[in-house]
Amino acid sequence: MAASAPIRAAGWALLAVACAGLVSCTGKSSSPDDPVAIQVNTGTCGPKWSAHGGERTLQIKNAGTVTTEVDLIAPDTGGVYAEVEALAPNTTRSMRLTLGRGTYALRCYAEDTDGVTGPVVTVSDGPVHGAAAVKPVDNQTLLASVKDYRTRVTAGLGQLATDVDTLRQALRGGDLATSRAAWLTAHLGYERLGAAYDTFDDFADKIDGMPDGLPGGAHDPDFTGLRRIEYGLWHGEPLGSLATVADQLATDVAGLIKAFPQQQVDPNDLPLRAHEIMENALQFELTGEADQGSHTGMATIDANLTGTQMVLDTITPVMKTRYADWDKVALWMSRTRTAVDSTRRPDGTWTPVSALDRAQREQLDGDIGQLLETLAPVAAIGDVRRTS
Amino acid sequence: MTEDSTTPRVANRRLFLRGALSAGVAGVATGAAAGAGIAAALDGSARPAAAAVDDAVPFHGAHQAGIATPSQRNVAVVSFDVLAADRGELTDLMRALTDRARFLTSGGTPPDPGISAPPTDSGILGPSLPSDRLSVTVGVGASLFDDRYGLASRKPAGLTSMQTFPNDHLDPAQCHGDVSLQLCAENPDTVLHALRDIARHTRGAMQIRWQIDGFKSPPRPSGTPRNLMGFKDGTSNLHGDDTKTMDQLVWTGGEAGWAAGGSYQVIRKIRMLVEFWDRVSISEQENMFGRRRDSGAPLDGNDEHDTPNFAVDPVGTAIPLTSHIRRANPRTPDTQDSRILRRPYNYNLGIDSVGNVDCGLVFICYQRDVAKQFEAVQKRLADEPLVDYIQPVGGGYFLVLPGVRDTNDHFARALLA
Repeated sequence: MAASAPIRAAGWALLAVACAGLVSCTGKSSSPDDPVAIQVNTGTCGPKWSAHGGERTLQIKNAGTVTTEVDLIAPDTGGVYAEVEALAPNTTRSMRLTLGRGTYALRCYAEDTDGVTGPVVTVSDGPVHGAAAVKPVDNQTLLASVKDYRTRVTAGLGQLATDVDTLRQALRGGDLATSRAAWLTAHLGYERLGAAYDTFDDFADKIDGMPDGLPGGAHDPDFTGLRRIEYGLWHGEPLGSLATVADQLATDVAGLIKAFPQQQVDPNDLPLRAHEIMENALQFELTGEADQGSHTGMATIDANLTGTQMVLDTITPVMKTRYADWDKVALWMSRTRTAVDSTRRPDGTWTPVSALDRAQREQLDGDIGQLLETLAPVAAIGDVRRTS
Repeated sequence: MTEDSTTPRVANRRLFLRGALSAGVAGVATGAAAGAGIAAALDGSARPAAAAVDDAVPFHGAHQAGIATPSQRNVAVVSFDVLAADRGELTDLMRALTDRARFLTSGGTPPDPGISAPPTDSGILGPSLPSDRLSVTVGVGASLFDDRYGLASRKPAGLTSMQTFPNDHLDPAQCHGDVSLQLCAENPDTVLHALRDIARHTRGAMQIRWQIDGFKSPPRPSGTPRNLMGFKDGTSNLHGDDTKTMDQLVWTGGEAGWAAGGSYQVIRKIRMLVEFWDRVSISEQENMFGRRRDSGAPLDGNDEHDTPNFAVDPVGTAIPLTSHIRRANPRTPDTQDSRILRRPYNYNLGIDSVGNVDCGLVFICYQRDVAKQFEAVQKRLADEPLVDYIQPVGGGYFLVLPGVRDTNDHFARALLA
């Protein structure tokens, strides 16, 4: 191996050059960096600490006696770089982030105590720009959004009541085609409200619940509402018996209209709904799982997009200054809308999800999937945090 | 074949370094881990460097990893259709694939997004990613060169769509695709982690068309791993560290233009009708393969690696003329150039509609010229007795892109320039 000696020298020279200029040598984050250990205490939020710039781990230990939320903030703007929620006494948890040049401070929110900002720390080396700080959303920030949302839903519920009455009359009138059309109008009206998870409390299941989880399935006496009527309309059930279901539906919609003004809308819900509505559309509609026979899943997804847009409209003032990729939300909403619209036939009916061809299916999966990835940060940013 | 974990890794690292030096590429450094491996190689030390290097397969190089790389234990082969709206978005996709592959294969701690987003990593490999010998191998299919991205004129002549062979039972839903990913690692969670990560970063740009996962059996009890028919599969194979043969038969050369340094990839999902097979007598099984089931020895030999001597057995007394090994590789001067580098894995998907196990072989092979190599072999194998017990059901032809040279390079840069 004597001949290898010059090669060895050349090899190390190469390595040295490469490592000096390449992030991957040190930025390959398994490289050892000593964690910055900081003990926080009720009242002071830690002693003065220091850190070099670059990718760092801050190990925060709660040396006090009260569970505390600890944020790493930009002291001049109040923006949050990283957080440790609910740090119990005598526990240690890490924040890992890239520290750019600038000033930093820890801010502690002990339970039932006003927030306290720790010493301001200046990082004067490392990268110019590190992780970005996000201005936190507190329980005041979303008040206007919630008010806007309530106004829009109230209007939608009024229309739903009207559409359900039309459906009742159609069922009593005994014409199947008229009844199916009236059902679709009412159902899409509900889907446009962007109900997901516990929106509307128990009324959600009464109005639009699925037979899943009921021992009798579609024939279970507790299966009621719009999906039950759909099942009957596309499974040859007598319209007269479905009219009885529709009467109950009208009662439930009226109940919701009466209850809605008193129902709590957690401000957290709006940023969550931003992606949850389309998560449900992907999980239940694009799979065909929710279909009770009408094959109108694509129409439902179209309505869900409208519901999502309604939520996005209400939180736009809050998000556009906090979410760096907010403009991408509009892009992928638009692309998804185009893909969904392309499944509508010239006569206005919708392609059943089971009849989508591969290209349509992939386009929808891709656009909705990318939309969901783009919406996911909205929920994280919009998570209501303490600021005082 | 010697594609097992005992293949000396030092030799590969040395070749890797030599290639980087001759190319004058500063990006030889793929992290401190690779540096340690290079140092060990330069020491001329024979001891395996494995203990010192966290088992990372170098990502940067003239060729992509996952071809000459000794086979890892697990694979996911995934075909995608590209949804990118235009050539700019296709380039973005290739950059994203490069970034993810570079990060995933080197391992390390994923960034913490603070309050700005959900966690950036699925967490299934723990807070810090092991490299686990992960390799990410990216190929492109002929369909990518249609009119969508203005690439028609750049399609290499050798890149075609997989043809249907006489004994095939192809399901169109499991064939072809615009992009192929071969993800290999020692553990299946590493493979799945990589797929989830890559899919998460590319959802709007490409969607999975079909996928097949595979595993490599350990030596039973020694030698080449066995397929699910019980036979050693890949005894006679090209060697990834034999650079001369690799250059001759596996890597594309100057004739490929922008694609030089790539390799043509053939993927075939081959169902094995194992219940039927298990009801066949041992001598009939062995005559179909041309090897002993227990030792893997050719029927005219005693040990797995004995070379069958077809020349002295012209009528197939010892090894039938119709046997798999004799048809696949007649070992004549004019068939030497049709040899291929195989990287096979077994698969198991559960139970089919008649209660049989739906399992078989993920056949993956690499070559410089599909027509002269895989297809030539396939034509010789047509109607071999074994076809009654196997059903090719899916797959495709892809061109594995040239390697990513350094941190400034990305997949398909020369193609999209």
